[in-house]
Amino acid sequence: MKKKASISGLLKRAGFNFMIIFILFYLLFPFYWAVNSSLKTESQLFMTPATAVPRDPVTLEFSPTFQNYSAVLTDGQFLRGLANSTIVATSTTVLALIAGSFAAFALGKLRFRGRKPAMYLILAMTMFPQVTVLTGLYAVITALGLSARISMIFSYMIFTLPFTTWVLTSFFRGLPDALMESAQVDGATPFQTFRRILLPLTAPALVTTGLLAFIAAWNEYLFALTFTSIDPSARTVPVAIAYFAGAVARQEPFGEIMAAATLVTVPLVVLVLIFQRRIVAGLTAGAVKG
Amino acid sequence: MAEKNDHESSKKRPAFKKTGLSDLGKREERLALKLLLPALIIIVAIAFYPLVQVFYTSFTDRVFASGEETSFVGFDNYRRLLSVHITELEPVLDESSGEQLVDSDTGEKIFERPLDVLPREPRRYREYKQFDFFGKRYVIGATDTNFIDGVQNTLVFTVVSVLIELILGLAIALVVNSKFRFRGSMRAAMLVPWAVITVVSARMWEWMLAPSRIGMFNALLDRLGVIDSPIAFLASGSYQLSALIAVDVWKTTPFMALLLLAGLQTMPEDIFEAAEIDGAGKIRQFFAITLPLLKPAMAVALIFRTLDALRVFDIFQVMLGSSTYSMASYNYFQLINNRNMGLASAIGVIIFILIFVFAISYIKMLGADEE
Repeated sequence: MKKKASISGLLKRAGFNFMIIFILFYLLFPFYWAVNSSLKTESQLFMTPATAVPRDPVTLEFSPTFQNYSAVLTDGQFLRGLANSTIVATSTTVLALIAGSFAAFALGKLRFRGRKPAMYLILAMTMFPQVTVLTGLYAVITALGLSARISMIFSYMIFTLPFTTWVLTSFFRGLPDALMESAQVDGATPFQTFRRILLPLTAPALVTTGLLAFIAAWNEYLFALTFTSIDPSARTVPVAIAYFAGAVARQEPFGEIMAAATLVTVPLVVLVLIFQRRIVAGLTAGAVKG
Repeated sequence: MAEKNDHESSKKRPAFKKTGLSDLGKREERLALKLLLPALIIIVAIAFYPLVQVFYTSFTDRVFASGEETSFVGFDNYRRLLSVHITELEPVLDESSGEQLVDSDTGEKIFERPLDVLPREPRRYREYKQFDFFGKRYVIGATDTNFIDGVQNTLVFTVVSVLIELILGLAIALVVNSKFRFRGSMRAAMLVPWAVITVVSARMWEWMLAPSRIGMFNALLDRLGVIDSPIAFLASGSYQLSALIAVDVWKTTPFMALLLLAGLQTMPEDIFEAAEIDGAGKIRQFFAITLPLLKPAMAVALIFRTLDALRVFDIFQVMLGSSTYSMASYNYFQLINNRNMGLASAIGVIIFILIFVFAISYIKMLGADEE
């Protein structure tokens, strides 16, 4: 009897591990292929059939090249792009999280007239395709006389602010009302309740939305391309990659694009590794007694 | 409306009623407005003018980047995009026998030519599709077949990819939510597809799906002996949309999974413990507790995924060029290549309305804005 149970437990464990490996393979394999391509020379890229690791075209021995990486790293454009992207994406995320969590607290936990219209107004901000709003946005930014980096930060609000607001609103609403009441009984103002009690409780949601918004801002291309057209020194990574792809007269340097993609993805993964500790399970468990 | 809200919430929070609702209510209202202020200022400063301008321009014949005079054209742009006409095609009869003529090569019955039946005024309708219904042949004509095609592609793309992403994302979130050793690294690894720059990811997949054995998929299928000759995934109609859906699912499932995971992690554990004690099995717990509690997070994740999918642009533009359009890539084509800004704005408004319809139905279905 006991032995049977442990066998089924073992099978369950094995099945679970198999599932994890399968998920990881699915999510990571295409990225592995990008890394693989980034380590190939042009002639290796065009080998038929494609090889799963960089191989010498003649001897078929394992022979990776780092020429793509050195080409990318010696290109000043790319490193400057990294700095620009970091500034723009970080500022966008911070601004969207602050404005978003304020609004979300009001929308999720306070009673006032015009709550629903306010929610839809915020969502409506992001319902047009980017191309359509581009001309109008460009006019606004010229009228306000904003620099390229500031223009990007503000225009990225169009897609990050509604996102942070809506996600956080749904999380605030999920927190028990009893929390606010007991804080109020203790003499805390609603804003203190928000900052000291509710905000820490939504930490998993804050980190998650922050990461997702950061990556969305990091990857944005169309607005960045438009607003940096007058100021090339403000180009972000996606624009820089597009430019070093077009700067060379010969065929598109696919290996270099993949090397650049690998180089920008790695810091993001490190960032997630650092912040994911904050996504701790069961934070609200036991927050309210009874 | 306001009265009803007051009534409902006062039932839920009786503490406020005793201490004087009107005063506290006013203070709460003032605080709410103050908190909303930063978001509202940003909206007014950044989004208000562009959005109003899009609505306005959609009723004009404005040309992009030119000094040409613009005039008001009413609903002309919308009429051009959305006019659809369905009509029956009469069979072509043999004059002597009265039987329907049959093509001697293909064996197919011959009907009159769609162009002869479809209206030419005020705009020329082109054939979009033919279909049979109760033994009769009909033709669908449209004044802008590219756009109608774009709408259809986008809707199929959206519904299929969002549905797959929801199922896959939920599965991944559930797996990662259970406790195991490398959970932290798993969460970081999980985000990799979402982190790869969209434009680059489209190029990367284009390379993997290349129509010869330099592409990973054709090399693999060839090695496995599944195919005799390489498949042109992105050139042929039957594979195109499926390939794009696969790419989008890979790229954005992490987004869905992470949002659902955050939802799972704010669930109080004691409910599950109580359910365990009551003898509810894992599957029962999932349907009775997890899913209902996950509804709000799911609604928000679905809204933002659908919103992005309906505006899909990059992968259509990069991987298919202008052979097949999505609504947004047709929008881009009209604005940049044809410089038809009025028409492009009208497309934007149509996308806006579609997104609105989807958003409202999610909210109604999943109750995301209930008190």
